[in-house]
Amino acid sequence: MQDLQLVMHGIAVKKYATVEDICAVTGLANDLVATLTAEAVTKGRVSEANGKFLLTPIGQVTLKSAYSKAYGALRKDDTFLAAYEDFERVNNDLKQAITDWQTIEIGGQTVANDHSNKDYDASVIDRIGAIHERVEVILERLGNREERLLRYREQLLSALEKAEDGDIAWISDATIASYHTVWFELHEDLLRVMGREREEH
Amino acid sequence: MDDALSGCRWLLPLDGTRLPDKKLIGGKGWSIAHMLSLGLPVPPAFVITTEACAAYLDQGSLPEDLEEELASAMRWLEEKSGRSYGHGRSPLLVSVRSGAPISMPGMMDTVLNLGINAQTMTALAEESEDSRFARDTFRRFHELFGEIVLKASVPELASDDDLADWLARIERSAGRAIPETPMGQLRATVEAVFQSWNARRAKRYRKHHGIADDLGTAVTVQAMVFGNLDGNSGTGVLFSRNPLTGEPEPYGEYLRCAQGEDVVSGKFTPEHLDEMKTAVPEAYAGLLRASRSLEDANREAQDIEFTVQHGRLYLLQSRTAKRSPAAAVRIAVDMVREGMISLEEATQRITPDQVHSILSPRLAGGAAEGATVLASGLGVSHGIGVGTVVTSADEAESRAQAGDDMVLATATTSPEDVHGMLVARAVITEHGGSTSHAAVVGRALGLPSVVGCGPGTVTGLVGRVVTVDGENGRIYDGALEVVNPCETQDQRLDDLLAWARQHSPLAVYRDAEAPEDVLDLEGVDDAADPANLPALIQGSRGVRGGSIASEEGVRAALDAGVEYIVGEPTLPILLAALQADTPLPPSAQQSSLNENT
Repeated sequence: MQDLQLVMHGIAVKKYATVEDICAVTGLANDLVATLTAEAVTKGRVSEANGKFLLTPIGQVTLKSAYSKAYGALRKDDTFLAAYEDFERVNNDLKQAITDWQTIEIGGQTVANDHSNKDYDASVIDRIGAIHERVEVILERLGNREERLLRYREQLLSALEKAEDGDIAWISDATIASYHTVWFELHEDLLRVMGREREEH
Repeated sequence: MDDALSGCRWLLPLDGTRLPDKKLIGGKGWSIAHMLSLGLPVPPAFVITTEACAAYLDQGSLPEDLEEELASAMRWLEEKSGRSYGHGRSPLLVSVRSGAPISMPGMMDTVLNLGINAQTMTALAEESEDSRFARDTFRRFHELFGEIVLKASVPELASDDDLADWLARIERSAGRAIPETPMGQLRATVEAVFQSWNARRAKRYRKHHGIADDLGTAVTVQAMVFGNLDGNSGTGVLFSRNPLTGEPEPYGEYLRCAQGEDVVSGKFTPEHLDEMKTAVPEAYAGLLRASRSLEDANREAQDIEFTVQHGRLYLLQSRTAKRSPAAAVRIAVDMVREGMISLEEATQRITPDQVHSILSPRLAGGAAEGATVLASGLGVSHGIGVGTVVTSADEAESRAQAGDDMVLATATTSPEDVHGMLVARAVITEHGGSTSHAAVVGRALGLPSVVGCGPGTVTGLVGRVVTVDGENGRIYDGALEVVNPCETQDQRLDDLLAWARQHSPLAVYRDAEAPEDVLDLEGVDDAADPANLPALIQGSRGVRGGSIASEEGVRAALDAGVEYIVGEPTLPILLAALQADTPLPPSAQQSSLNENT
């Protein structure tokens, strides 16, 4: 994709993004992103509020057609497709792990996990660590075809290691680039590349 | 040791003749060796030592002679089990486990059913007369091998999927081929175990916990046994004592012609152990002998998983049995009477909370039948409380002063509500879990508490007379009949009590026998929080009321040099004092063999 489209893609993945957010997703330099967001605003594809950017309805449509052009070949690439299908499978495992992180069974009842049981928390973090090993392999396969996607590897690992070191907000806190936040963005990114909709079960 | 393997440099057969160093064979290998040294029947196994791991990490490949030794060791397993690996009509399947001297996250998980391939799957189907089981074994092996060794994302296998197609999909996902022969698969699995020593998580864990990087991991290779081969095969679980009542009788379940996962799945109703006695009498007698040996060796009630293959008993795992509070008391006191443990150990094994649970008021038998459950949540402090529901601490306090029994129900509680909690018979909240304010203060006060009942609960309850069960978390309509157990009515509790009184670092008196010189914390708001106790009780000889009877309260009393506490029941207070004085030993040693079905 062209840099302008890539900037719009970064905004779409984040929904509501600062220049720094867009840099983190796209890997583009800060100055360039600032210039391009300004350009996108002028063109009416992006709107700005409080230093954060949002796609306009026209921006959404333009981006969608840009995807089909940029990723048409990738959507038919067997290797990429197989890796994407593998991601969807490991995504189900991660969703279950996050549910188990947020809830705990006590006396036969499922209640919100208040994180007082350190052993339980450690066992879930360990499971996420095992899932991470699998997603690393998948990201490598995806990254062989679309290099940009490799950026998620470091972001996921960084969140995971913070959680492993005891700062447990980095598992699923939605207000920071926690493991789940980054994973969710990666999933959103892939869905857009593939031109698919999110399935909620 | 068997001659065939005596010259091996990198591996050790586990044959019960000696107990090698844990550093050399890892925790899992060691527990198998330990059971064998007790003369117990365990599926045959050998260990590739931590020294082989060190050599692998050093040179980046398996030591040359290890391949040959591995082949000899597999022949040894074949002889021991009377089965053959990767071919033949009675296929030998093995499990491969990592085993560091210290368990740590990130190390490779167990791979089961190595030795299954298209040929042995057919043989296994014929032998077990169960082709579904054979296909399932094939699937389970490739799932574990794919996910654990190859780090692939294994697709689901539908019942009509072609196996070769499925394997090709796993290979695509892994980006590399599954080794063709079962020996090749075994080598790849051993290598994966060694590599997992340097997996990111294991490395971080070692660094964080100051564990040496050169300890290395051992690999345990063990023959799998099958409980589903014929009517003389089966699988089950045995508790050396009844885990519900504590009665000194073996208690368990047996499922004829089945594998372990059939019992867990709940698809089949297990039979009584008497069925096992009839079907496979020798295995049954062996199981009871094993149960006694394991209990004697571990000096704790055991939970034993076992499989019978062609009439022969194999123990898969034994660990300390989980038990009800009543069983915990009965087992501990019985073991003292049997001379297995000392009374001192018995008092260290029973928590104050377990005694509270036994002695707390309970609903009379049948009282809850037909009663309407108005709300339910998480029971966080046991006991039964009956009273009229009010929604403010002030109202609870004023009406309790007039002599009414009150139950306090609020969205959440905070320190401002404590004066109401002090006089209430029970507390109910809409929000919060086991560490919420209501739960913590409720437990400290010994007040029946149910938390997290959900929004809107309070509105539905206000003004009604309810019965709150702080153990199962239910709130019943009306005043149900309640019974109050007494600590001196039970002979075993009485035994514990007599001993605990003699050895406790402080005295505990019932209300009726209380000395006059006692600081009464009854009605003191601050005293509900054990954190405030040190300031309140300083310089007192004796204390009653508030949270002094809780475990933290007792610790504060000991720290402040208090000579006696007044409260009932006395046993939990005495146990808390004894256990604060002697910290609890690490949980009883486990001899664990893990699932090997």
